[in-house]
Amino acid sequence: MLGYEFMQRAFWAGGLIGLIGPLLGVYLMLRRQVLMADTLSHVSLAGVALGSVLQWNPALSGFSVAVAGGLVIEQLRRSYRTYSELPVAIIMTSGLALAVVLMSLKQNLSKSFSSYLFGSIVAVSNTQLKLIAIVAAAGLLYFIVLRRPLYSLTFDEETASISGVRTGLLSFSFAVLTGMTVAAAMPVVGVLLVSALIVLPASIALRIASGFTAAIFIAVGAGLTGVFSGLTASYYINTPPGGTIALILLVILLVTIGVQRLIKLRNRRSAHPSTTN
Amino acid sequence: MMLSSMRDVVFGYGNEPVIDRLSLDIEAGQFIGITGPNGAAKTTLLKLMLGLLKPWSGTVSLNREISGEGRLVIGYVPQQVASFNAGFPSKVIELVRSGCYSRLGLFSRFTKEQEALVESSLRQVEMWDYRNRRIGELSGGQKQRICIARALAQQPQVLVLDEPVTGLDAASRSGFYKLMRHYVSQHGWTVIMVTHGLEESGAYLDTVITLERQEQEGWTCLVTNSCSAHFGQEA
Repeated sequence: MLGYEFMQRAFWAGGLIGLIGPLLGVYLMLRRQVLMADTLSHVSLAGVALGSVLQWNPALSGFSVAVAGGLVIEQLRRSYRTYSELPVAIIMTSGLALAVVLMSLKQNLSKSFSSYLFGSIVAVSNTQLKLIAIVAAAGLLYFIVLRRPLYSLTFDEETASISGVRTGLLSFSFAVLTGMTVAAAMPVVGVLLVSALIVLPASIALRIASGFTAAIFIAVGAGLTGVFSGLTASYYINTPPGGTIALILLVILLVTIGVQRLIKLRNRRSAHPSTTN
Repeated sequence: MMLSSMRDVVFGYGNEPVIDRLSLDIEAGQFIGITGPNGAAKTTLLKLMLGLLKPWSGTVSLNREISGEGRLVIGYVPQQVASFNAGFPSKVIELVRSGCYSRLGLFSRFTKEQEALVESSLRQVEMWDYRNRRIGELSGGQKQRICIARALAQQPQVLVLDEPVTGLDAASRSGFYKLMRHYVSQHGWTVIMVTHGLEESGAYLDTVITLERQEQEGWTCLVTNSCSAHFGQEA
């Protein structure tokens, strides 16, 4: 399998996104911005359509529009503090509507759209792989260098602000990174499943992690497991890679929930043996 | 030395101001209680002072020169902080260690002194034995204590607490007031606390600021009292 160059590229691309996506997902979930990844993937789709209509590089326009979308969401989140999910819904609807209208303006566009909608990781080009590597490196650096202020910001924005964290700058840079990661992940799992790769590993981690650092490592571990096993399975059973990766992550989540419940039940029984008879 | 000064401050959330032409000076190095009925804008006053809210008009200034360290470190325990996301995957010790972040650079490692500070902060609120527990597993009162411990670990020159004893039992409340008195008297901190329990805390305070809403005029006016008999020098 790894003798093929396209599979090597797929494993590299998947590994890099499987590293940075779940890491981002932990922060998105804790900041209650879990739909942001999904929204930005729709916005990015509108960018791809715009690029195609205006004869620009669709990948580049999708990337730029996703980043801009992240900034707009962050600005709106500050305006709608009480209803922070509202701007996400507004932008998601606008992105999808714009994409559909732009698609209708250009004939034969819908065919190339399917690669963005469903992902085509085995068709990742060297240029796309380089872009993914740059985004993953930038993201890793961001999360390592800023891990302390990010922890404070994620726990409580007001307290972080008073203790000297530049919360505005940090939130906006986080939104930019989210847009970059979503745009880079699109060729791997597609628009429809991009949030699965960001959200599902984080959901697994948040259920079982004993601490914050543990949550980060579990999320990344689950993401990489999902990506590598999904790619391998899709190669041998000839299924779409994006969907296979998402389904494997879902199975891991369900197994985690099941095992966790069994452990709780066993602990309760051992703590109160009389009540179970 | 003056810590904060407000002049003719007007602020509101809708069309009507909840604070109207408020002028107030807060001295550094004191244990100050802010009290008043519900809706008297106590939390709003704190947030204006801390710069979290911008006044419609008037001026709010915070003297950052009182520290002598070049920068003013402010600890803040917001109202109902204990109602944080129960699913937040953090150990108690991770959260309290985050109090030291404001004094650490991005790449600096924790020193032994800072580790000792985290331990003593947790011991002061009687939560050291819970250090490896997940914060979501704690009771409301315990969550309140670890948030206070995080603020203590910060070693702030100014500590601002919004109803910090919510969820604490009587013995813990008394211990908390004594601890704050100790930090003011022995370490020179300024502690500003919103409280409803003047009958319990009054003896420990240097100054009480009472906010009263004047229904007819529709604004908040201010009464400042110095306590005639505050608690002794050492807790």
